[in-house]
Amino acid sequence: MNVVACVKVVPDDQDLTVSPDYTLDFDRARPSISTYDLNAVEEGVRLVEDNGGSLKVLTVGDSSIDDSKLKKNILSRGADDLLMVADEDMKAMDAHQTACALKAALAKIDSYDLILCGDGSADLYAQQVGAQLGQLLGIPVINCVSKITVENGAVIAERTLEHEVEILEIPMPAVISVTSDINLPRIAGMKQILAAGKKPAVVLRATDLEYAALATIEVLETLAPKETDRKHIIIEGDSDEAIAAFIANVAKVI
Amino acid sequence: MDFGLSEEQELLFENLADLVEREWDEEAYNDCYYNKHCYPRDFIMKLQEAGFTMLGVPEEFGGTPVDTVTMVMFAKELARMTGASLPCASNAISIDDILSFGSPEQQRIVLDYVAQNGSAPFALGFSEPQAGSDSSGILTTATRKDGKVYISGHKTMVTDADTSPYLLCITKNLEEPVAFKAMSMWLVPMDAPGVRLEPLHKIGLRTSGFHEVYLENVELPESSLLGVEGAGFMQLMKNFEIERLMLVAIGVGMAEAAFEEVARYANYREQFGKPLGQFQLIQEKITDMAIKLENMKNIIFKTAWEKDNGRSVQIGSALAKRYCAMASFEVLDEAMQIMGGMGYTEESRISRMWLDARHLRIAGGTDEIMVHIAGRAILKNYK
Repeated sequence: MNVVACVKVVPDDQDLTVSPDYTLDFDRARPSISTYDLNAVEEGVRLVEDNGGSLKVLTVGDSSIDDSKLKKNILSRGADDLLMVADEDMKAMDAHQTACALKAALAKIDSYDLILCGDGSADLYAQQVGAQLGQLLGIPVINCVSKITVENGAVIAERTLEHEVEILEIPMPAVISVTSDINLPRIAGMKQILAAGKKPAVVLRATDLEYAALATIEVLETLAPKETDRKHIIIEGDSDEAIAAFIANVAKVI
Repeated sequence: MDFGLSEEQELLFENLADLVEREWDEEAYNDCYYNKHCYPRDFIMKLQEAGFTMLGVPEEFGGTPVDTVTMVMFAKELARMTGASLPCASNAISIDDILSFGSPEQQRIVLDYVAQNGSAPFALGFSEPQAGSDSSGILTTATRKDGKVYISGHKTMVTDADTSPYLLCITKNLEEPVAFKAMSMWLVPMDAPGVRLEPLHKIGLRTSGFHEVYLENVELPESSLLGVEGAGFMQLMKNFEIERLMLVAIGVGMAEAAFEEVARYANYREQFGKPLGQFQLIQEKITDMAIKLENMKNIIFKTAWEKDNGRSVQIGSALAKRYCAMASFEVLDEAMQIMGGMGYTEESRISRMWLDARHLRIAGGTDEIMVHIAGRAILKNYK
């Protein structure tokens, strides 16, 4: 089976800094794989190991994602090849634009049986792209999937819901968003890292795709919360009065 | 000069950091160290699964060949991230003698064991009570009778003798006057009749055993010989320069771990109404520790680079070994000083690293032997 794992490239959150005016400074943040998408890649690797076929990683984003180290990082996780669409016109896309861009990029792929997405992106976490992509492609789409097996050409997917586990059989091709606990993404060793540099990675521009989607949201500003000094209010004991005073203080903050 | 890492090296250390964050259990390691005196097997097997214990081993043996710089950096980083002395980063060097000189059967034994345990299957039996730094003075012999070989002697300070299935035993032909032509290597099964262990109790490195090994007419087949008879010393010395770099790289990594910990500590620990770091006496310590760390990293990485570029590291490796063994301990000692009383307890990993790093001034050639190697060689260059 041919699996496509969709991956979002986000700024490495460990390198983000807050400027004095509370805006976020991305200058030192290198592009990295959105954490939850590593589960989608790992599940793709596992499905291909169990069922044969190949795993392609697909990513779309601005031109900064066309980064040599990032491509090696993605390919060291077990995928066979990478299709990347990197273009400044695709900067800061919303979920709908992303789903449209992924659909247009998928048109460049000969065939696929299963498209895997992560639970949500590490930066926006809207959890929309998988659902919208399935809708745009007109194929079955489900999310919250915590187990996938393939039987007789169909996918058996387990969805862990609040009070029950739902087991669904769906035909392929399909889009599935996996939960972050579906697997533990493997650590890439030096062998995989060295091999990643030799795997095929195709990079396209927006003009290579049949893609046009207007932004549906406008971001006015993104600010870090203002920090306040510690108040050093100490309430002694566990009496009802002390607990009431504690709750009253917490309520003031909230 | 380029002091940057390659993309591959950056990814290697990022993945190692992910693995350490995910799998390193400080409490479990302390239990191994202080109570059970055992190898941290669970963690080592995670390194093994990711292929990290086979870094530097040739591809035909299932490893991932990398240059010396990467190997030395990896050993340093593993020690920095864990704050522990884990010799498995040096497996490639440990098993290279077997892979280079061993029979296919001996190679298979080693590779199977590393795959299942993440460590080499043998303890090195070289030092003897009368032959420490003066290694040419060993007296263990191999004699032949009726097609069999019989090993007799007394090895001491043998690391992992109790957990290794084999002893890589160095014997000497007492009739050969030239010491480096007199030695041979044998793979002696630890469970062979005539092998007896007596424990020694180290003050540090407590996850591995340390033993006297008595060998009394231990019968072996001829196939137990490793490599060429009489070439044992030369075989053993094949990688000794890199071995020394890898050894002290662990010390540099532990010193860096302690440095990072106490630098943070100095920023929040308050005495006399202000953070320790605001006292100039503490700033001086932090500054001198940073200088030593820079010097240590520079000398080990540069020596590794020289090795990769085909230059002689005879002097460089001895300088690096001597300097880093001393300086890493000095940094750890100052880290303990900044931590104060808590640094002297088992609650702090600094005391554990302090105990571990002290051995570097003795093992793999003492500080004084490094002078013996480097001093003569340097002066010879100016004759």
